[in-house]
Amino acid sequence: MSSTSPLILADGITKRFGANQVLTRVSLEVLERDVVCVVGPSGSGKTTLLRCLALLEEPSEGRVVMEGVPISTPSPNKQVKAAARGVRSEIGMVFQHFNLWPHMSVLQNLIEAPIRVKKMPRDKAVAIAESLLKKVDLFEKRDAYPARLSGGQQQRVAIARALAMSPKVLLFDEATSALDPELRREVLAVMRQLAREGMTMLVVTHEMGFARHVGTRTVFMDRGEIVEAAPGSAFFDAPQTERAQRFLQQFADE
Amino acid sequence: MFKYQFRWDTVWGSFDFLMGGLQMTLVISAITLVLAMVGGLVIALLDMSRFRVLRWVGISIGEVVRNTPILVQLLWVYYVLPIVFGVRIEALVALIIGLALYQASFISEVYRSGIQSVPKGHREAAQVLGMTPLQSFNRIVLPQAIRMTLPPLASNFVQLIKFSSLGAVISVSEITRRGMELSATNFRPLETFTFIAVVYFFICWPLAMAIRFWERRLQAR
Repeated sequence: MSSTSPLILADGITKRFGANQVLTRVSLEVLERDVVCVVGPSGSGKTTLLRCLALLEEPSEGRVVMEGVPISTPSPNKQVKAAARGVRSEIGMVFQHFNLWPHMSVLQNLIEAPIRVKKMPRDKAVAIAESLLKKVDLFEKRDAYPARLSGGQQQRVAIARALAMSPKVLLFDEATSALDPELRREVLAVMRQLAREGMTMLVVTHEMGFARHVGTRTVFMDRGEIVEAAPGSAFFDAPQTERAQRFLQQFADE
Repeated sequence: MFKYQFRWDTVWGSFDFLMGGLQMTLVISAITLVLAMVGGLVIALLDMSRFRVLRWVGISIGEVVRNTPILVQLLWVYYVLPIVFGVRIEALVALIIGLALYQASFISEVYRSGIQSVPKGHREAAQVLGMTPLQSFNRIVLPQAIRMTLPPLASNFVQLIKFSSLGAVISVSEITRRGMELSATNFRPLETFTFIAVVYFFICWPLAMAIRFWERRLQAR
């Protein structure tokens, strides 16, 4: 991999569900150690873009490229499919509704994929899982079942589960939207810490404070297109387009 | 009627005969449940198949069996299959085949709703972590689906205990049939069939209560 090629790249992605076009030629690159925040009104296609990058949706046009190698295209050939399998677990994802597996304890949720996918010995997987649980401050909940945890705790476990596969990039799909304000803070604190440690992140969010202060780049989407992209807090200080200005106006009172 | 002289001794005198019938009832129900669980899985897999022809076969079997009376099906299996295939089927075998097919068509729906009760997000989480579709099904979907299907399967067992009494019509020697035979010789249908009803009730009722308790506990999770 050359040092200039982006870690993950959305290359002119168009996505249609039937007659409904959700994304129109969206291109976005994420470099190593980037924290790219995607903001925009609901229905603007943010989540769909993220799901394309997570290989949960196939683009109708365009492609997803990881470290120079195409991993998702419309009706992918064998080569692309094999490449996708190879990097599958290097792209982690945190969901809006956590999606922890309710029939497994916290620890089992964390060690399942390392043991099954990476064929890691159980001892090693447990050691990694325990250190990750300490990191998200939930070590004492290792044997609890997800239903016993608060939403904020569940989301922190979900982040630890994604980290257990040591992904190169972590995608966050409105990770705090389903949480009460006071629970949001504990999840945002973990995300901020990850950013500080140099984790590459693509964050779809409504948390303007996080985007402004933690993001290295902010991307504004509306109606399936990227309308504006600016480094760091520049997007918030001086939005260029009228649509972005109108969008930010809603948060002015907050 | 209330001058009626109860003669329960006619029942006690044939207690072993009737209990032998009960044993038969329970064995038929258990064998049928196992067959119906396998058959239900086959029908469910056909229903969810990628191939349209197989889906069509699965759905047709389910619809035909669910929308015709079980008694007619039993008579059909007992009298028609031998004509078609030119083999004599024993009444017991015909009863088990008929009941198993009938229950399988319901159990297939139980499986399907169990599998569909697992949220899509759970599978997506597995997919994103790199698990294969098979790993995801075995480790994430199936354990949750099984937990959802166990109570309905137990309820099916209760239903089978009751439906197996239809075997009496094709002279399978389970408890109801034995009751018919007994009352034809002791002329005491009131005592005989009351006793048999009580036996069915005290087997089915505790089972049904236990299942209800079990379901409530699963929902509380």
